[in-house]
Amino acid sequence: MPLKILLIDTDADRAQALEEVLCGSDYAQVLRAPEGTGRADAVDRFKPDLIIVDMALPDRDALEDIRLVSAGHPIVMFAGSNDPAFAEEAIAAGVCSYNLSGVPLQDIKPIMASAIALFRRYRQVEDELVEARAKLDERRLMERAKAILMQGRKMSEPEAYRWLQKTAMNQNRKLAQVVAMFVEQHDAPADPGGAKRKQP
Amino acid sequence: MSDSTSPTAVGKNRAAKLRVGLLRLTDSAPMVTAHEFGFFADEGVEVELTVEPSWANIADKLAFDALDAAVVVPPLVFAVQLGLRGSAQPMFVPYVLSAGGNSVTLSSELAGQVRQRAEHGGLSKLEGLAACLRERPATLGVVHAFSTHNLLFRYWLAAAGIEAGRDVKLAVVPPARAVEALRDKQIAGFCAGAPWGEVARRAGVGSMIASSHEIWNSAPEKVFAVRARWAQQYPEALAGAMRALLRSSRFCDDPENAAYIAALLSRRQYLNLDPHAILATLPSATTAHTSCVFFRGATTFPWRSQGLWFLSQMRRWGLIDDSIDLRTLAERVYRPDLYRAAMAPLDEPTPVADWKIEGRHDASWSISTESTPIAMPSDRFCDGTIFDPAALPPLGESAMRILDWGGRLDPSD
Repeated sequence: MPLKILLIDTDADRAQALEEVLCGSDYAQVLRAPEGTGRADAVDRFKPDLIIVDMALPDRDALEDIRLVSAGHPIVMFAGSNDPAFAEEAIAAGVCSYNLSGVPLQDIKPIMASAIALFRRYRQVEDELVEARAKLDERRLMERAKAILMQGRKMSEPEAYRWLQKTAMNQNRKLAQVVAMFVEQHDAPADPGGAKRKQP
Repeated sequence: MSDSTSPTAVGKNRAAKLRVGLLRLTDSAPMVTAHEFGFFADEGVEVELTVEPSWANIADKLAFDALDAAVVVPPLVFAVQLGLRGSAQPMFVPYVLSAGGNSVTLSSELAGQVRQRAEHGGLSKLEGLAACLRERPATLGVVHAFSTHNLLFRYWLAAAGIEAGRDVKLAVVPPARAVEALRDKQIAGFCAGAPWGEVARRAGVGSMIASSHEIWNSAPEKVFAVRARWAQQYPEALAGAMRALLRSSRFCDDPENAAYIAALLSRRQYLNLDPHAILATLPSATTAHTSCVFFRGATTFPWRSQGLWFLSQMRRWGLIDDSIDLRTLAERVYRPDLYRAAMAPLDEPTPVADWKIEGRHDASWSISTESTPIAMPSDRFCDGTIFDPAALPPLGESAMRILDWGGRLDPSD
């Protein structure tokens, strides 16, 4: 009998990739949970042996409630196993599993190892993207800050840059930080309640 | 501890980083403010905050050393301590972060029926809700089995003779999903922390009919819980963090600062929610009983009797084994001694007792300290029960005891 695995993941690409890895053998049958609030129902219908879930989802709390559904089968979180190092790796990668039918740990470990590896790889790509976006954002803000100074204070571009650099040095802050604050102060509309939602 | 460094050298190490997990809730305010205002830095403590999407993440990360501390509900701290939902990790509660702030929110339809019943039949809102649920059972959401919300909501419903399982089904619905679930009629209402009731009201899908204050006046809510090993390894950093929190708790409790705090919490990296919804749940001059309380009335003091009350309710609903000595457990986890030691340099009046009788006061009263007495608010329960920690914690009446939250929750051992 193949293991029935329910994948709950917001990232469709990653879920697809993991499904392909796991379905390479006859060992596993994989179902991907639907979007939205129907996830607990999917557990009920599919009756998986194992649930693999993205730790970035709030739904984990609801999933833990399924111990009610499977009264006959106590649920074991992988993280609750006797291998803390493996659990720590899973947590660091952002993935968690629930063993619903008491499948032996040695059967689950290779499956979780694939999931951990995949989640880690995706996380790395994500981190790189965030970093790249932050750099772009910094450049955009720097251009804006220079434009404000060049227009408002009739500075040349190198003067504007030097002014920002000096301000950063005087305030003992990072240049990017000073630039962001300067642009924010200049561009923010008057808002006494401070109610505007902004990205810090 | 396996650490080979001498205990004094480690103990003096104030450079330890404190990794704190929190959820998207209004009562994260003292933690976020202490961090953003540099109060932690002033005490020489480096703090890293992470916003987690679920209580399960908080519990697992504490259990596996991915977090050192958390802004968390007390029943979950006991669950982590005992390993009731995963791996166990010894925990301390040296500081309480908030009181009140939870709300019972019903779908607009059910809320309308409840209000109509209450008005026409001369009933309380709770009796009105009980009548509606007896006629037509419904599913109501709580945020986690090991939450204050589950325990307070059950306490309230039971006071009107409503049994979970018979008149009402309680399901776990994360607050971030509750508005959607209410709109799709998957649930008819929910009990959750601020600002989620306000978020549902503003989305036009729900109406708040009660707050935690109506269930237990000044009910303790979130605590600052820290891994016992971290606390023992870095006692001075812990004390510094608590002094920083005290400064922050006082600041957050002042209605004058509410607009500022709402704007801060609303940022994308924290609650990522409408600041107006957050503002409505912060201390204000007008909505005293529905908002969070952060400082007044010795809110920050970790009363062992409060820990014991939560434990007794966990036992009542079959969440905790009958064989466990609850008083010893409350003493081990709730640490007023650490609180007093941390505040000693501050000249801050601190209660001299570790326990108090809960639910005895209908009106404001005061509690003695080494210096000025502290003015205390009413601590009444909705059913008028007086919880005396000196008496044995009452076991739930067998009729009210249900096992659907699973008596034995850790099948791995």
